[in-house]
Amino acid sequence: MRHVHSVISIESRPNGFAVQRGAVAMHHTPLYERHVARGARLVEFAGWEMPLQFKGIIAEHRAVRSAAGLFDVSHMGQLFVRGPQAAEFLARMATWDLARLAAGECRYCHILDEQGRILDDVIAFRLAADELLLVPNAATTVRIEAWLAAHIDDFDATLENRSAELACLALQGPDAPRLLQEGLGLAVEPFRVEHHGELLVSGTGYTGGAGCEIIVPAADAPPLWEALLARGAVPCGLGARDTLRLERGMLLSGSDFDGSQTPLEASCEWVVDWEHDFIGRDALLAQREAGGYAVLQGVQLEQRGVPRPGCAVFHAGERVGTLTSGTLSPSLGTGIGLAYLSLTPGAEVAVEVRGKHLSGRVVRPPFQ
Amino acid sequence: MSSIPEELLYAETHEWVREREDGTLLVGITDHAQAALSDVVYVELPSVGDSFEAGQGFAVAESVKAASDIYAPVAGTVVEVNSQLEEAPELVNESPYELGWIAAFQPAGTPEGLLDAAGYCKAIA
Repeated sequence: MRHVHSVISIESRPNGFAVQRGAVAMHHTPLYERHVARGARLVEFAGWEMPLQFKGIIAEHRAVRSAAGLFDVSHMGQLFVRGPQAAEFLARMATWDLARLAAGECRYCHILDEQGRILDDVIAFRLAADELLLVPNAATTVRIEAWLAAHIDDFDATLENRSAELACLALQGPDAPRLLQEGLGLAVEPFRVEHHGELLVSGTGYTGGAGCEIIVPAADAPPLWEALLARGAVPCGLGARDTLRLERGMLLSGSDFDGSQTPLEASCEWVVDWEHDFIGRDALLAQREAGGYAVLQGVQLEQRGVPRPGCAVFHAGERVGTLTSGTLSPSLGTGIGLAYLSLTPGAEVAVEVRGKHLSGRVVRPPFQ
Repeated sequence: MSSIPEELLYAETHEWVREREDGTLLVGITDHAQAALSDVVYVELPSVGDSFEAGQGFAVAESVKAASDIYAPVAGTVVEVNSQLEEAPELVNESPYELGWIAAFQPAGTPEGLLDAAGYCKAIA
């Protein structure tokens, strides 16, 4: 779960229509040439030039909900932690007690600072008793690597950043298990991870449906990408990745949390295992005790319109928050978004979309 | 290659204009513009009776990822809007020059500064 920037708050104003790109040199995944050859529309995301869409966001979104879509998510990080105390070390660094993960299990959790604020959301994979893999977001991989390195000395463990040499493909949708079986002869259960030579396949994703993520050495990515497309998977870009995750209320690093919110504020107490010691725990306990903080909630519009990140949210005539994510849900046909609010589900709100107040309600994601 | 019908006039901001028999002007966005916008999911229409200067934004086309103003290619008053777009905004993508028209204007004067098909073709080359 997670990742993707709201890429893409590209406001194509005056006679725009142009995708804006940064002036600095951008990173490319091992599939970049394939994407260009396939005519993908590219976008800058966290320093990477990535496909925003191939045929179109709506068609790609629907393919993932009804069949199978394939995403290049090679921009995401891969940090390996090894050694006798690898699991103890990561348990100290994460909101979940990763020492309790059995080999072959994965877990979504958060990495916090001492004040309990989310530095990033990650998936931890326990590959063996003495080896774990942490997958942070693209924009935060270097920061998380440095954060881990700053704390690892007290443990008998080593850290290796293999992000540059590995690629990751996300095969998502109800047909994903069949394509994985037909294409690679593999099967994987949700939140399990399996090693097959140099290939890692896990029952994880960021779309809220069935599917898997496949981590491979960079050189193996292009043939795997083409083989899965040849089986019928639809190539998908970051645009659909964003609408898919938002429908299911999954957080976007850098947008739905930006370094100043705790997991309690992000409505993610479920990622916290209070029974273990971790960095940020004391601050979280104090916050839980004190209460009185706004929490991340869903907002669903009842009037037509497209809410965007940054739109103001009103309740009873007062401005009460700001959307951290927002889009038109391709599955539901309604505007949906997330905002930190001191309101309960069912409360009536209005979202200001380009000067107009559109009525909606606070809801608990997933949106339906 | 995007389609650029010979019989229409164009604004550099990617709107097309078709003169109707009664002298009113039908306005929409070009094939090139709809392709650049990608999936249109919402069109904010003007109201009949609204007046606009040439070059003023009169409608907004929203795709999943962007909102784009649509500019009045001529000065005038809106006499009709394509209310079908409220339920089916995708018509802008599927039929930009026919079913996906946006509004009809009673022009305030003679249109100025518009391009013919060849001129628009050059402008987007």
